[in-house]
Amino acid sequence: MDAIPQLAFSTLLLGGVYALISVGLTLIFGVMRVVNFAHGEFLMLGMYLAFWAFSLLHFDPYLTLIVSLPLCFAVGWASYRAVMQPVIHASHNVQIFTTVGLSIALQNLALVAWTADARFVRTDYYAVVVRIAGAAFNVAQIVAFAVAVALTAALFAFMRWSYTGKVMRATAQDRQAAALVGIDTDRVYAVTWAVGIACVGAAGVLLAPVYPVYPTAGLQFVLIAYVAVVLGGLGDMAGALIAALVVAAVEVVGSYVIGTAWKEVLYLLLFIAVLIVRPAGLFGQRGAEALGT
Amino acid sequence: MRGVAPALVFFGAAGLAPLVVRDAFLLDSLVLILIWGASAAAWNVAGGYAGQISLGHSAFFGLGAYATALLATRWGLSPWLGLTVGAAVAMAIGLVIGYLSNRLRGPYFVLATIAFSQVLLIAGSRWRGFTAGSEGIPVPFRPGFWTLGIADKRIWVWIVLALAVLVWLAQLYLDRSRRGYQLVAVREDEDAALSLGVPARRLKVAAICASAALTAVCGALWAQYIGFVDPFYVFSVDLSIRFALAAIIGGLGTAFGPFLGAALITTVETSLRAHFGGIGAGLVGIYLVVYGCALIVMMRFVPQGLVGWIDDRLRRRAVARAEP
Repeated sequence: MDAIPQLAFSTLLLGGVYALISVGLTLIFGVMRVVNFAHGEFLMLGMYLAFWAFSLLHFDPYLTLIVSLPLCFAVGWASYRAVMQPVIHASHNVQIFTTVGLSIALQNLALVAWTADARFVRTDYYAVVVRIAGAAFNVAQIVAFAVAVALTAALFAFMRWSYTGKVMRATAQDRQAAALVGIDTDRVYAVTWAVGIACVGAAGVLLAPVYPVYPTAGLQFVLIAYVAVVLGGLGDMAGALIAALVVAAVEVVGSYVIGTAWKEVLYLLLFIAVLIVRPAGLFGQRGAEALGT
Repeated sequence: MRGVAPALVFFGAAGLAPLVVRDAFLLDSLVLILIWGASAAAWNVAGGYAGQISLGHSAFFGLGAYATALLATRWGLSPWLGLTVGAAVAMAIGLVIGYLSNRLRGPYFVLATIAFSQVLLIAGSRWRGFTAGSEGIPVPFRPGFWTLGIADKRIWVWIVLALAVLVWLAQLYLDRSRRGYQLVAVREDEDAALSLGVPARRLKVAAICASAALTAVCGALWAQYIGFVDPFYVFSVDLSIRFALAAIIGGLGTAFGPFLGAALITTVETSLRAHFGGIGAGLVGIYLVVYGCALIVMMRFVPQGLVGWIDDRLRRRAVARAEP
């Protein structure tokens, strides 16, 4: 029973970062109806960004967010214009394989440019441990959580109250009707894609001081994000947020009970079970999966 | 290109090559082209004809590879038996996946298949008592045809050629038969096909089962040819993407497309490896960057694949000639 506060806090800290990865993915799906199979590679690029800023310029990874967030947004915008825009009205298969192609290209570009070596961002406060209510954490995890929650909250506020956010939600609901009332849907898609990439890039920057950085680092996190996003209902941002916490809980409690070696199996089985029993997600509309839109 | 002639020329040339070619490197490339072509064609049965786009087919490939390796190392059984067991297990799992994920379309199906192959990857690399874990299994080499211990690459060319022709014939059946037409109808519009009385669910499940079994056979022969089974390779998403990539570049839902795609990809890969190996080994990953970009460009300009593109060209030329 002593472990409960530790497990609860670990879940919360992990869930915060998973949430930031997942909301970007689900936002892109909700508005553009595209599952971004290159999401993990943008996470990896974010991690490398933090690593190089730290090792070459000695910038603190969390402070670089001021620069790296707009940079990730710009990279997202450029990748939309170059890669996604031409296929935005194409079939599912074309879109799936375009993002798969983007994923292969980015991953191996990183491999060629920076080799497969695992690299580490070792900040001064890396080993500083804080104790809260009998649970121990290092500062990096807590800062990552706090920033991730702040960014996720900012995204929710942006979607709810800003004009651009409202336009994005309108496009998500009905792209034809949105175009009819004069919304430039192409521009909305570009902004959506760029915002989604900025979120996952920021998550990468936040994860860099906690996890090793290597070209395929994105895969393990993006698998978690897929689970969270489907669990919450593809396209549902609030659902993804709650589901990210659920997945984090499964991972944390699972590694405590059965060991870390098999924890991935737990959430993958949860994922498959959700896809089979209720593919529209816990909060999604029944039948969405069969429409496949 | 949709006719049988190009495929017959391709298989004929591959079958005669061992009589002329003595160079081990070229023969090795030919074996790999035929294995990857057969795997891509097996993927195409589900992905191309039935429209069940999977990025988890490495699961079936790995099951075939593991079945042969485990049966040979643990019980000293023949790889032919392992191949049969692998195919049967893959088929049974294909049946389960097919039924369970029947409702899923588009990205949902893709995600389900990725998750499934990841479960097998973790089982293969962590279940040390049964699979030897992450260090993989060396497949024992025992000379003889029954144990598939064949050092002569020329014989390997003929063995994998037989497999390639088998998978090609399976696709040809889908091209020509009533069932094949029904399957394509389900792919194009499932609701319309259902309303005409096409047993959509049964056909899709059957396509996935056949695809799974054929992929497992490819995996079994591959394991025996390479002589080593590494869980991180045989169950990887990269491998699944490789099958899909060859089929897409060649032409989804065409019988010859996967072989054309695999020939192209494998040739580019081996030549870049030969070129950049040694000193510039760090640049080996370049070919994957090229694949990624090629895939994006293909999707944008020729989503129907090379076979469809060449056919369009030929037809246009014929029309232009017919007009005075």
